[in-house]
Amino acid sequence: MRSLLPLLAIVFATAHAEGIASLEPKLLPPERAFHLSARALDASTIEARFDVADGYYLYRDKMQFTTDPVPAAKLDLPPGKPKHDAFFGDVETYRGEVVVRVPLAQAAAGKTITLHANSQGCADVGVCYPPNAQQLTLAIPAGGKPGPFVEAGRKGLFQ
Amino acid sequence: MSEARSPGASSPVPPQRRSRRRLLIAGAVAAAALAVGSGTAYFVHDAKDASRDGSAVLGLVLPDLHGQQQALAQWRGKVLVVNFWATWCAPCREEMPEFVAVQARDGPKGVQFVGIAVDDPDKVRTFAQEVKLNYPALIGGYGAIELSKTLGNELAALPFTIVVDRQGRVAHTQLGPLKRATLDGLLARLLPQA
Repeated sequence: MRSLLPLLAIVFATAHAEGIASLEPKLLPPERAFHLSARALDASTIEARFDVADGYYLYRDKMQFTTDPVPAAKLDLPPGKPKHDAFFGDVETYRGEVVVRVPLAQAAAGKTITLHANSQGCADVGVCYPPNAQQLTLAIPAGGKPGPFVEAGRKGLFQ
Repeated sequence: MSEARSPGASSPVPPQRRSRRRLLIAGAVAAAALAVGSGTAYFVHDAKDASRDGSAVLGLVLPDLHGQQQALAQWRGKVLVVNFWATWCAPCREEMPEFVAVQARDGPKGVQFVGIAVDDPDKVRTFAQEVKLNYPALIGGYGAIELSKTLGNELAALPFTIVVDRQGRVAHTQLGPLKRATLDGLLARLLPQA
């Protein structure tokens, strides 16, 4: 019986995944379509990274990062690809890998910093996901060397 | 499972055949359950039963652009097309002029579109004027996404549209744009023949 358990686990996991996937087989949940990770680059800079799956895009003007307890300084989002939106005018979108440097207002060596990221994106097949708020916690290394990448946990929609 | 959610999507189904179809679906569910393990039958079953009964949709009450509470039950007996949308969702905005056209064409025959906006009233008002919206725009705010999840929108994405037939059953659910051909086919089947 014990040897059956891993098999059953696979069977259940597969069945569950199929139950959801069959509604719309092409679509990923937002946290997989727009995968967020981040690391400390040095004592006063966080590098945030969205890996956007093929066929999905994020809006540049909907992307925001904040930090606490040490606040973030003004940050420059990388340029996106121009896209004309009939209602909102000219907007910019990100595809693939988006790397954003989030400068901290002061050095935070040895501290624990929480990064909050807001984003909103769509899939080319014609659906959009609501604004998504995510957060992750980073230990800023004391030595000034880059820390490891941390994956975003899901904080939930709409703060 | 999308077939199970919209049984008879291709042709009109008289009641006696509907029960046969139900049996067929139940058989398919049972076979699938046997194939992958009996514990999954509940999952599939729940999803199907929940989607056939439109009372959760007809039970919704939401404010319109004037702040008046509107109960969807007031349109019971019509073919009700409930569309979750937002101004920040480009594919939603793109399909809405089609809905306006179909509302104008088929409204007198018993079709009622209702938009539930996952959005702020001001943005909804601006867009409603732009497309000359001729059906109610109810304001759900961001909470409407959670609401749509309870109605089968598991990925919480937009647009999401539910078509409820004149008997109060869910005839079709659609994540992503509802193509005009699909909509026309549904309405031809669900509206009384002239």
